[in-house]
Amino acid sequence: MESAAETAAQAHQKWPSQLEVWIDRRKPVAELRIRTTEILRDVARWLTTEAGLRFAGLILEQQPEQWEFRYLFYLDHKAGWIHALVHQPVEQVSVPSISSEVYAADPHEREAEDLFGVTFSGHPKLGDFVLHDDSWQESVAPMRKEFDEAAALAERAPREGWRPRTIVEAPGAFVTPIGPVYAGVTESAQFFLETVGEDVIRAIPRLFYKYRAMEKVAEGRTIDEGLLFAERFAATTAFAHALAYCQAVEAICRVKVPPRAVMLRGFLAELERFRHHVGVIQEICESTGLSVAASQAALLEEDLLRISGAFTGHRYLFGLVTPGGLMRDFAGPDCRDAVEQARKVLLKLDSLFEMLRYSSSFLDRLEGVGLISSDEARKLGLVGPIARASGIVGDLRKAQPYCNYDRLQSDEIIENEGDGFARVRVLYQEATQAVHIMGQIPPQLESGEVLAPVTPQQGAALGWAEAPRGATFHWVRLGGDGLISRYHVVSPSFINWHGFHAATENFAFQDFPIILATLGLSVAENDR
Amino acid sequence: MLFLIDAWFAVCLLGIIAPIILSETRSARIVAWFGSLASLALLSAGGDALFSRQPLDLQLWTLPELGTLSFGVDHLSGLFLFISGLIFLSASVFSGRYLERYAGHFDLRVFCIFYHSIFVAVGLVLMAGDAVTFLMGWEAMSILAYLLVNCQHREVRNPEAGYLMLTMGEAGFLAVAVALLLLAMVSGSLSFASFRSAAAFAGPDIRWAVFLLSFFGFSVKAGLAPFNRWLPRVYPVSSATVCALLSGVLLNLGIYGIIRVNGDLLPPTSVKNGLIVLTVGSLTALVGILYANRESDMKSMLAESSIENMGIVTAALGAGFVFSASHAPVLAGMAFIAALYQMMNHSVYKSLLFYGAGSIDAAVGTRAMDRMGGLIKRQPWIAAFFLAGALSISALPPWNGFVSEWLTLQTLLQSAVLSSAAVKVVFAICGAILALTAALAVTCFVKAFGLSFLGIARSEQAKQSARVPHSMRTAMGFLAALCLLLGVLPTYVIPALDRAASLISKTNASETLIPPFFLTSPERSLLPPDFTADFHNLGAQIGKGILPGAGLVVLHRGTERNPVVFAMSTSYMIVALAFLLGGSFLVLRWWLARRTQRSIRPVWAGGLSELPPELTYTATGFSNPVRVTFNAIFHPAHVEDSSEMVAQHFRVVIRRVTEEHHVLDRLFYRPLRKAATGIANTVAKMHHGRINAYVAYILLCFLTMLLIGRYL
Amino acid sequence: MSQWVLKGISSGVKSTRYPDAEETAAGVSPGLPDPSVNLTEAQKMELIERCPSGAIFIEDSSLSVNYRRCIHCFRCVRGVSAPLAWNSGYEWAGLSSDANPPDWPKAFRKSLHIRVVDAGDCGACLNEVKQLANPYYNLHRLGFFITPTPRAADILMVVGPVTDQMRRPLREVYEAMPTPKLVMAVGEGAISGGIFGPSFVTSAGVKEVLPVDIEVPGYPPPPLAILHGLLVAAGRKAPASLFAREADAVLKNR
Repeated sequence: MESAAETAAQAHQKWPSQLEVWIDRRKPVAELRIRTTEILRDVARWLTTEAGLRFAGLILEQQPEQWEFRYLFYLDHKAGWIHALVHQPVEQVSVPSISSEVYAADPHEREAEDLFGVTFSGHPKLGDFVLHDDSWQESVAPMRKEFDEAAALAERAPREGWRPRTIVEAPGAFVTPIGPVYAGVTESAQFFLETVGEDVIRAIPRLFYKYRAMEKVAEGRTIDEGLLFAERFAATTAFAHALAYCQAVEAICRVKVPPRAVMLRGFLAELERFRHHVGVIQEICESTGLSVAASQAALLEEDLLRISGAFTGHRYLFGLVTPGGLMRDFAGPDCRDAVEQARKVLLKLDSLFEMLRYSSSFLDRLEGVGLISSDEARKLGLVGPIARASGIVGDLRKAQPYCNYDRLQSDEIIENEGDGFARVRVLYQEATQAVHIMGQIPPQLESGEVLAPVTPQQGAALGWAEAPRGATFHWVRLGGDGLISRYHVVSPSFINWHGFHAATENFAFQDFPIILATLGLSVAENDR
Repeated sequence: MLFLIDAWFAVCLLGIIAPIILSETRSARIVAWFGSLASLALLSAGGDALFSRQPLDLQLWTLPELGTLSFGVDHLSGLFLFISGLIFLSASVFSGRYLERYAGHFDLRVFCIFYHSIFVAVGLVLMAGDAVTFLMGWEAMSILAYLLVNCQHREVRNPEAGYLMLTMGEAGFLAVAVALLLLAMVSGSLSFASFRSAAAFAGPDIRWAVFLLSFFGFSVKAGLAPFNRWLPRVYPVSSATVCALLSGVLLNLGIYGIIRVNGDLLPPTSVKNGLIVLTVGSLTALVGILYANRESDMKSMLAESSIENMGIVTAALGAGFVFSASHAPVLAGMAFIAALYQMMNHSVYKSLLFYGAGSIDAAVGTRAMDRMGGLIKRQPWIAAFFLAGALSISALPPWNGFVSEWLTLQTLLQSAVLSSAAVKVVFAICGAILALTAALAVTCFVKAFGLSFLGIARSEQAKQSARVPHSMRTAMGFLAALCLLLGVLPTYVIPALDRAASLISKTNASETLIPPFFLTSPERSLLPPDFTADFHNLGAQIGKGILPGAGLVVLHRGTERNPVVFAMSTSYMIVALAFLLGGSFLVLRWWLARRTQRSIRPVWAGGLSELPPELTYTATGFSNPVRVTFNAIFHPAHVEDSSEMVAQHFRVVIRRVTEEHHVLDRLFYRPLRKAATGIANTVAKMHHGRINAYVAYILLCFLTMLLIGRYL
Repeated sequence: MSQWVLKGISSGVKSTRYPDAEETAAGVSPGLPDPSVNLTEAQKMELIERCPSGAIFIEDSSLSVNYRRCIHCFRCVRGVSAPLAWNSGYEWAGLSSDANPPDWPKAFRKSLHIRVVDAGDCGACLNEVKQLANPYYNLHRLGFFITPTPRAADILMVVGPVTDQMRRPLREVYEAMPTPKLVMAVGEGAISGGIFGPSFVTSAGVKEVLPVDIEVPGYPPPPLAILHGLLVAAGRKAPASLFAREADAVLKNR
């Protein structure tokens, strides 16, 4: 199909006077600067339906003279990005909402409204998203430059009378609350299950109990401190996020990462993917109540954590990637050794999965449970293993290659049912694939440096990576002083939590933990 | 006894005349005082009749063509009179203040007149000695019941309910009348005494006809399937007094009719009668309790629960009929005792529960359980009495429901003595169904009590409920105490019931049920000789004289190796348990209080800032598992979820619409209606309006008549 | 079903022998920096500037590391001319106040019931807590159980810096626990706010909200360190010091 430049040219032909096209061939990014906001919805619709692009995220920046709304779109089979830009004057900030055309933009707009206090006209469901209505005042907009971050952490008393927004009308319908603190060793999130008794008609998640305002805290910090934030806001997939951040910074500062570091980065990313997927499989086994399988999978997860710890020094791969390359080098024999150990774990995972495939008690609880149809997955813009289990082709390693993934051989993994079992199969195949990719890297390692020097420059760029949970996008803007002036993260969990309600329609109470486990979403990654 | 009956009648008459003279505001008081006096008179009369040796026989006026109107009060009537008097007493006490809330809505004078009139009618039915009196009383009772129900005719949302009750009642009455007339045809006169003596001459066809007509005719009034569809509609629209009367007195009249005609006047000779009664009773019980679980309106739920209890009574009756016909009179007696005990218990605890529902309705202003909650804090007495009623109806010891339910199930288990395997199978299945209904009853009343009284208030009305007057609580307390007494002293109640049951079973069953040493002390020589032969050297009686009853009896069975036998009467057991459990509880509490700290904290709700009532269970949600399990019976016709979308992708409403038809409507009335309309449609083809055809019809009729006249 | 039984039995016993013996497998702990190296003043200042969380400081002219603040970023050993030494132990749990060992109830010696609350954790500390139930660490054999309700809990294990929205739920959990109760802050986030705090939505650690008894440093602390913390709470192990001084030669954790 076409590349970004061609798509941009077509857009210019359709709306000649209302939009300007700026092309940066290096990245490659085509910016469509929209002059009149009336065409924003049409442009968004055209880009996602006829031009076949996918919506990645919405970035708001409060610049000195204007507000910049940057809508990111990308091709899912060829390198290229389209950024649709809208500028608004500082006094009156309101743009039309594109959620009716691009449903995937819904959580982005809601988050922007809560944190920046801008209006998206035509959006029916603003409010109570990041800043909960029962503890924050309406007028608070923390991401604005004029917000006083140093204000003391005040204890806000909960406002009486808040009720969840319920939509089920049936005699005797009520809401069962779960959380934010609920049974087990779980992340804090709240769920409201609307039910008439036995079956749950609809489940509403209420997240952002773990909102740490990472994007606000990162403003004014150095690149190195930003790296720490990127690494640690969702530490179970630390490496992938740190990698995306580093790629953004390297794009701004025009750093060429040494080839050895590039290959090693891919190696570490796949190691993390393997460990993460085994962890999710362990959670799924535990949620279905199959204790022996859960213990066996837990053994494998711990094995991988120990392999990661022994190989890199930290079980979750902290302190490795840095803008310019890697903080430490790895010897070739050590890499091969790590691959051997990973292969041993993979053999055990194979035999475990083989047994699980024929366990009726496991399959009964997963088949047909938590169904997300491929239409819905496409509409919601889901990413990662969940999307691939619903038949959506989309993998940033192939669509927008980085870390030399285009030189490594890997298969396309797709399942079509969209239920819990399809997701387990996708996770297993991706884990196998990760080890396969890891095996290809040590022979291809070139000798040389692993770190290139980085001098901070002014500019902005997008970095991305296929994190274990899906596509993640990090937008970094560095100011003249080399400090971060805007840092926005679109995490895969943020995108995929939006699809939670699609998986939880008309299910039985007992299936709730199973659906949660098969979706494998992270609250920390969503809340940032 | 005659004096008491006269007194009762006089007071009732006064109760009918007084409201016409006095002002309306006194009417509630008249109901209370005169009604109480009359009830006391009647229940004394009933008690006297139950224990007297000689039944009362009174001949009144003789009517031309209809024979002599007579009264006959035997043990059976006495028992029913006693129960009716009891319930009327509690209703009178309750209504004294309860009716005041209706003061502006309808004329209390009219209510007072109807109240006393129905009292007279009930007495008439129970004391009737011949068919005419019986039918007159029955008809009066039906019409007065309808009038009482539709008293609030200006307000009631569903005036058809009372009308349906009247119509079905009349159909039942017709069936009963035909049955009695058939009996009259056999015996030649209209008095019950002649029916009794002529019973032996009735042929099998007549017996079948009388049984079917009378059973199904009385089953309308007794609330048995499939003719009980009026019950769940009538109760919610009546006031609590009327509900208590309907369930505590009028349902019993249906049972009285069944027992009188099928047990006394025309005793069963074939097991098939009993089996039909048993099956109908069991199925009624099951359907009743299933639909009770579905209701979230308290009065509807109690109405369906009444259906269940009447089903149990009927099942026990059916078992009794089967045992009678199989020449096992002792077992029959046991079964009848169980039935009468259950009926009496039902009257007591159902009235109690209806008073509770009425009190809550008066205090809170709503009957929907989904809008109550947390009432135990503001209405502790009502909660306590309601709990007593709920425990009784759930058949939990030491309350009265346990005794009767246990006796019923035990009796059904005795089917081993019967010879026919098919009969045993039916008994087994019905026993299983009754056990299932017992479990469902517990579910139902856990929901009723838990969701209305416990938890947090789910509406503003529930948060600010008014105080309930003392007299209403007294009536409930009286019945609750009665529940406890009837549960703790069954060894006294059973011999009393046996006097009534022996009329039908023709034997003294209480001797088998109650060991003799519970009724007499071991020193007395009234014990049967074979008993003393076995248990010589009767040992001590512990607790004798302290409590009513035999206390703990230690016997020595001299002929065996392990000679000592213990037996404990229930009254002693309850006191001993109360001391032991209560004592241990107090000791434990004192001991723990010294060692631990107590602090009162809000309920743990997972970290929610507040737990609003919308986030707690509703009654419908609680009963959903029952609905799902018994989906085959409930069989919703149509369940649809429809959603409304906004901005193309955002759902703003999900609406779930469920359409359901009652299982009896589906299985019985709808096919009937279809058949009837089908026949009518077929026959309607004859009427197409062409005058030529009508003339031809006339000709055809004429020819047929000539032929008939020719050949007959 | 029998295949699962056979599989379980054939895997054998995997539990670590800690606390009876030391666990020597590779990768069980990321270790902590050890300041017992000879460094020049300039090198010391370079290290102090390099540490992003201020864990390294000079006290009485000797280099010290405050483990309460170490975030395992490895910047003191990677990319510096004179790296610190590294100590690969795991018995890190210490008391939050340097007072004498507290008088915790004897009832906690044999068994502890734990309520885990995530108050804004990044995910790594929570994942390490989850690993406690895997066959390698198997906390049940030591008498430690995770309860679903605070009403039956002895010790409240908090991971993550306390975010604004989780303050009140966390306090409610604490209030819902019966006395005697302990609070354990696991991970550097819970101890001193992590890298995100303190800010307008994140506190500087659980001690701002609740009285903390035990602190387990690390980012994240490995499961063995958390086990050590639980053993300290049960009174079966001695607590470690949360500071390391150059003068103390090597951290005596073995």
